[in-house]
Amino acid sequence: MSKKVLVVDDDPDVRSFVVTVLEENQYIPLIAQDGVEGLEKIEKEKPDLVILDVLMPRGSGIRLYHHLKTNDQFKKLPIIMFTGIALRSFLKSQKVLDEFKGAEVPKPDIYLEKPVDPEVLATAVRKKLG
Amino acid sequence: MSAFKILIVDDEELIVRLLSMSLRSDGYQTVTAFSGEQGLEVFKAESPDIVVTDIKMPGMDGLELLKRIKAIDSEKEVIIVTGHGDIDSTITALQYGASDFINKPVRDAALAIALERAKSKIAIRKKLEEYTTRLEIKIAEATEEIRRKSNFQRLLITSSNDAIVAFDSDWKVVVYNPEAARVFGDPAKDVRNKMNIDELYTPAIAKVFKNQVKDQKSQRNFPWKEQVIYTKDGRQIPVRYAGNVLFENNEFVGTVNFFQDLTEIKRLEKELVQSERLAAVGQTVSGLAHYVKNILIGLKGGSYIVDVGIQKNNTEKLKSGWETIKKNIKRIGDLTQDLLTYSKQREPEMEACSPHDIINELVELLKGFAASKNIILSKDLDKSVDQVMADPKTIHHALLNIINNAMDACVEDEDVSKKHEVKILTHIDKNNMICFEITDNGCGMDEDTRKKLFTPMFSSKGGKGTGLGLLVTGKLIEEHRGTIEIETSPGIGSIFRVRLPYEKVKPVDGN
Repeated sequence: MSKKVLVVDDDPDVRSFVVTVLEENQYIPLIAQDGVEGLEKIEKEKPDLVILDVLMPRGSGIRLYHHLKTNDQFKKLPIIMFTGIALRSFLKSQKVLDEFKGAEVPKPDIYLEKPVDPEVLATAVRKKLG
Repeated sequence: MSAFKILIVDDEELIVRLLSMSLRSDGYQTVTAFSGEQGLEVFKAESPDIVVTDIKMPGMDGLELLKRIKAIDSEKEVIIVTGHGDIDSTITALQYGASDFINKPVRDAALAIALERAKSKIAIRKKLEEYTTRLEIKIAEATEEIRRKSNFQRLLITSSNDAIVAFDSDWKVVVYNPEAARVFGDPAKDVRNKMNIDELYTPAIAKVFKNQVKDQKSQRNFPWKEQVIYTKDGRQIPVRYAGNVLFENNEFVGTVNFFQDLTEIKRLEKELVQSERLAAVGQTVSGLAHYVKNILIGLKGGSYIVDVGIQKNNTEKLKSGWETIKKNIKRIGDLTQDLLTYSKQREPEMEACSPHDIINELVELLKGFAASKNIILSKDLDKSVDQVMADPKTIHHALLNIINNAMDACVEDEDVSKKHEVKILTHIDKNNMICFEITDNGCGMDEDTRKKLFTPMFSSKGGKGTGLGLLVTGKLIEEHRGTIEIETSPGIGSIFRVRLPYEKVKPVDGN
């Protein structure tokens, strides 16, 4: 049975791009516009993988990342970070550090910096879901 | 003070003993001798304060003893006892420095008076001595103090980082410190007390200082001047200089000039300007690159979706991909327009227009987006606002930018319980300006963000803003002789007020 992948991104262009890539690779795409909606979808739809943007309104991308990484229920849920900023900037961003309150920021399973070729994204998804 | 010690010398033992007894009873200490020779020995051994000696003695007589004693200590008080009418001896004794005479036979009263006189002489001398000693110490101290002070002043002038040059009233160089030697290139030995002002300075600087002496106002207040000087050894040194005219009791005694070498400061200033420029360019370029990258993401994504649509003959995909591409082409267009507007001076194109029509248009344009984000977009327009002479493009651009920012601030607000609202208000203020007020209750800004609002390529929207919006808006408003004012508070919201001159359209003749 096809696996479900949730795309959390506030940019509709990015969402439709990722959705198309997922469809082309026989995954079932789910979408959410921000971190809050993202968490709702995760709890309700139980996706197998989350593709998460970092910079979203209200800091909700970082918050969702923190929530997923520190909550036992979601710890095993693979996450692909899909964002416009470099990994180094992400790990050192004040907002991220504040969210984790001094604790070490866990490295994302896969970190992709936009723009990304469809093949690279598809490969990353396959690597996590087989 | 201990009792005075008196040496009594007489060849007649009896007289010696009587005198001795009498003086002891008066409280003096006495030592005795019965000949001149013995007297000298006792004198040397006992060092009495006063000597009373008979003049006529066998062997060494009183005069000889007096001479010897005076040779040892010229200030010793020696009272000579003489017989009646012995004038010659008396004169000789005076010449030798005897301090007093008493006649034989020695009467107690006469001796007492002579002793008192001797004692007071001793006392005076002692005081004088003390005074002299004190004076000497004082003078030594004062001399040392003066030496120290003058040394300190010399050090002060020598070690000054400023070049100090002073002239006497004939314009001869009298002070020329090492820094001056470094700046002017002439060694001190060739300058101090040798050169005059015209030999040391360039004519221009010499004239400045000569004029200063003539002009009362610049005597008191001589602002620092800057100039490049050319040294004798061919260096160019930018300096900053000033001077003071020196007076003593209202009489012109000379001038002192100060020069500061600005070479290092000029170099640092240049470096700073250069590094600030580089930093600004760096920030601008990186901000721009970030934004362009975002457009590229959109274009790549869109073209991929179009490819998929073509392959699968899927019209939905084709449409959605094409929309994305068109949207991002527009973003490039807007960015280019913003960059051009920002970089070029532009005169507003004034025409008769209605600010309210523009606002209504904008609200119509934006209400869809506002509704999708649950933002109430409202307006409260002053009915007295009429047609004005203004550049409608400026008003349109400025308001569109600020309203968009206001809505972004609502979207960005952490407090989702708020009913977010963006309100547009107009009124004519007391300075006859038309005021556009855009209020939002979004996230607001902290001080840091507020300060950077008009910095090129600064964006608080991640890669989603160009960092040019407000910059261009500010520039357009400025060119329109208007002002922009911002009130903001984190978590509460922001108010942007744009004021433009309110120039009503004059009725055309015949209309």
